[in-house]
Amino acid sequence: MEENIQLSIDKLPIKRLDAIEENGLERFPPDLDHDEKRLSLIRRIDFAWAVEKDEQKKKQKKTSKEASTPWQWQSMVENLQLAHQELSVIIDLINTVEANDAVTVAGMTRPKPLPNEALSDIAVSAATKLQCYRHVGKYFKQSAKAFEQQVAREARFYGALIRLQQNWKVKRQRLASIAPGNEGFTFDLFDNSYDPEAINRSSALSTVRVEHDAAGMLAINVPPNSCHSLQFGFLGAQPDDILRKSNINNSNLSSKSYLGESGEESLSDDECVKKSHLLLREVHLAIFNEQVFDLVNREAFNSSTGVSVTGIRENYLQLSLGQGTFVFLSLVPSGQDNQKVEGAVTDNVGNAILPSDTLEGVKLQDAKHSIHKKKKWQFPNSLSYEIYLQQIFHEHIFGRGIGKPISSGTRASGVPAKDGSGLLGHFSMSLSHRIFSSKVLAELENVVCKVPYLQLITNPTWHSRTSSWTLSMKVPQSILRMGSHTKTNIAFEKNAVKSQFWTKVVVNDDCINVEREGAPKVVGLFKGKSEEIHSMNRYDCNLADLPVIILQQVASQIINWLYQEALMVGIKANRDFLCLSFELEQGETLCLVAHVDPDDIDGCISWWLVMEDSFVEERKLHIDITDGASEYRKFLGHLSLDLLYATLMDLIGLCSAGGGQ
Amino acid sequence: MDSQGQTTSLQRLHNVEKVLELAGGVMDELSSPTGPRKEVVQNHCLEFMQLIKDIQGALRDEIKSACEYRPFENCDYGSRIGSEICFKKLEFVMSQLDRMKQTMDEYHAAV
Repeated sequence: MEENIQLSIDKLPIKRLDAIEENGLERFPPDLDHDEKRLSLIRRIDFAWAVEKDEQKKKQKKTSKEASTPWQWQSMVENLQLAHQELSVIIDLINTVEANDAVTVAGMTRPKPLPNEALSDIAVSAATKLQCYRHVGKYFKQSAKAFEQQVAREARFYGALIRLQQNWKVKRQRLASIAPGNEGFTFDLFDNSYDPEAINRSSALSTVRVEHDAAGMLAINVPPNSCHSLQFGFLGAQPDDILRKSNINNSNLSSKSYLGESGEESLSDDECVKKSHLLLREVHLAIFNEQVFDLVNREAFNSSTGVSVTGIRENYLQLSLGQGTFVFLSLVPSGQDNQKVEGAVTDNVGNAILPSDTLEGVKLQDAKHSIHKKKKWQFPNSLSYEIYLQQIFHEHIFGRGIGKPISSGTRASGVPAKDGSGLLGHFSMSLSHRIFSSKVLAELENVVCKVPYLQLITNPTWHSRTSSWTLSMKVPQSILRMGSHTKTNIAFEKNAVKSQFWTKVVVNDDCINVEREGAPKVVGLFKGKSEEIHSMNRYDCNLADLPVIILQQVASQIINWLYQEALMVGIKANRDFLCLSFELEQGETLCLVAHVDPDDIDGCISWWLVMEDSFVEERKLHIDITDGASEYRKFLGHLSLDLLYATLMDLIGLCSAGGGQ
Repeated sequence: MDSQGQTTSLQRLHNVEKVLELAGGVMDELSSPTGPRKEVVQNHCLEFMQLIKDIQGALRDEIKSACEYRPFENCDYGSRIGSEICFKKLEFVMSQLDRMKQTMDEYHAAV
């Protein structure tokens, strides 16, 4: 700028009196607001030169244009522009005031409202209030429906949550970044009453998130095939397809089958809750199965249990229990059991205990005898051992928290250590016993099938390592006794009349013990107590000899019975182990001999009638002696007990008739 | 546990709609140009309070029933597993019985 600078000097900023009243009251001019001060300062600056410059420019522009008719809105535009300028000044002022918070207003007096202004103020405020009321009323009515729907949705969700909460633990985590519809609920399926030393593995399945499905209802999503079930089996056995398949179909709860039904709006709330409950049950059981598998793994590597590991893969453990028994335990995703089983069978070494003598002689028989052929021994049902394994682990480890007493003495034989170290050993011993006793049972059944007058009864022992059976034989009543009804010596008669003979087979672990009634003791007869009448004979035997021994016991019981009958009639007879002999007149001996053969198809006990003269009294009978010179043998066949009794009576008649002559 | 006629007990809260309608009605009444009618407003308010009381009662019942479930210390997860094992045993026994029955039927049919 080339022009001269002009200075103006303010008045001193002292307060000058405006007026003074008679009573000495001084009136000062009202303090200027900060903004007024600024305004006045701004006004002081003379912008005339700049404005003139602008005006000159505008005039030049205007003169260059042609003079046009003034636009009719021109004045309005100018007024608006002026108003705009004033408003912008005010806005700047307000911004400055806002930013500068040290500003205080010294004081302002409100202009006194005029009466009509007051009235119009009241009217305006009343109208505004009424308008607000109407607005609120409309808002309430509009939102009533929506609110009810929202409440219904929430009620469904929380109703389902409350019902599930009655059975499962629900935990809530208040997340900072909550997506709408996710309140942070989870189901906690971890059982903290478990023994802490026993459980290592906390499953990833333990926490299940609660989510909303499309309709806002509670939904649980479990990834498919994440739930595993325990499977136990014998290597070399045919998979028990029938049993397993029916169980799988009944209990297949995988979420796949439910996710496929999306869009099922007709699922009622009850069904939704039940579906979620089933899923939670499945997950809970899967966690337990994983823990059992883990524990078995740990125990199996502990060499003191007598069980050794012969194979290991992911989720698969193969054990050898001794005596050539191989079993496997695996975790399979629910619903895929069978494929794994077949794979296991083909991959691994088969079991060596498959019996080899099963089907000999079958081809030589016709259909009539087919029921008598030896049944091929099969492994006992593996599903029952799976359940047993789960049960013993559950009771001894997981059931402790509730204060359940240690199993009673009848069951556990040194089993429950708190950390479960003896459980696998106990299980394997029980399993070995069961396998062995099933073989014993097969042999007994084979025998009993063929002998019509023998009955096989199983005696429950309630002990996992002991089994017991009774073979009982009912003999026909003596003709002589059927007519007598003397009441005087009924006790005597009861004890003397023996109509049932029994042989007991007891298996302890893998020892077989056969026990039977022996010869009656005469002293005991008069005492009248049944235990003392008969002596008990006990024998130990092994599996291969069992059928023969059983048959021999039965045959000797028959011989005893015939002997007693003969004595009742008054005939003196001699009794050997399997032979009953009568003496005839000329020193000849008539013998009734029993022959036992467990492999005989028609019946196991057959009878021979042998007559010998006195020269061969000392010689015992042997079947393979075919020299018939000094003895006469007749094969009687497989006689029923009635026929045998009749034969005995005939022989007795023969003896007495011969004696009479 | 559920009240009769309702599938989930929280559906006793269906009265919330009525509540809001009443509130809206009161507002309308207040905003009417001729001034609010006292008895109408009073009736509405009474009904409103009654409904609020009902809703509160329903919520209290639900919360009580939710809190009545076993606290975490008395967790029954162990016995739940026991029940699952029993269930498996029952299934097994039933299948065995079915097989026995099947054998018997076959026997009778053959005879």
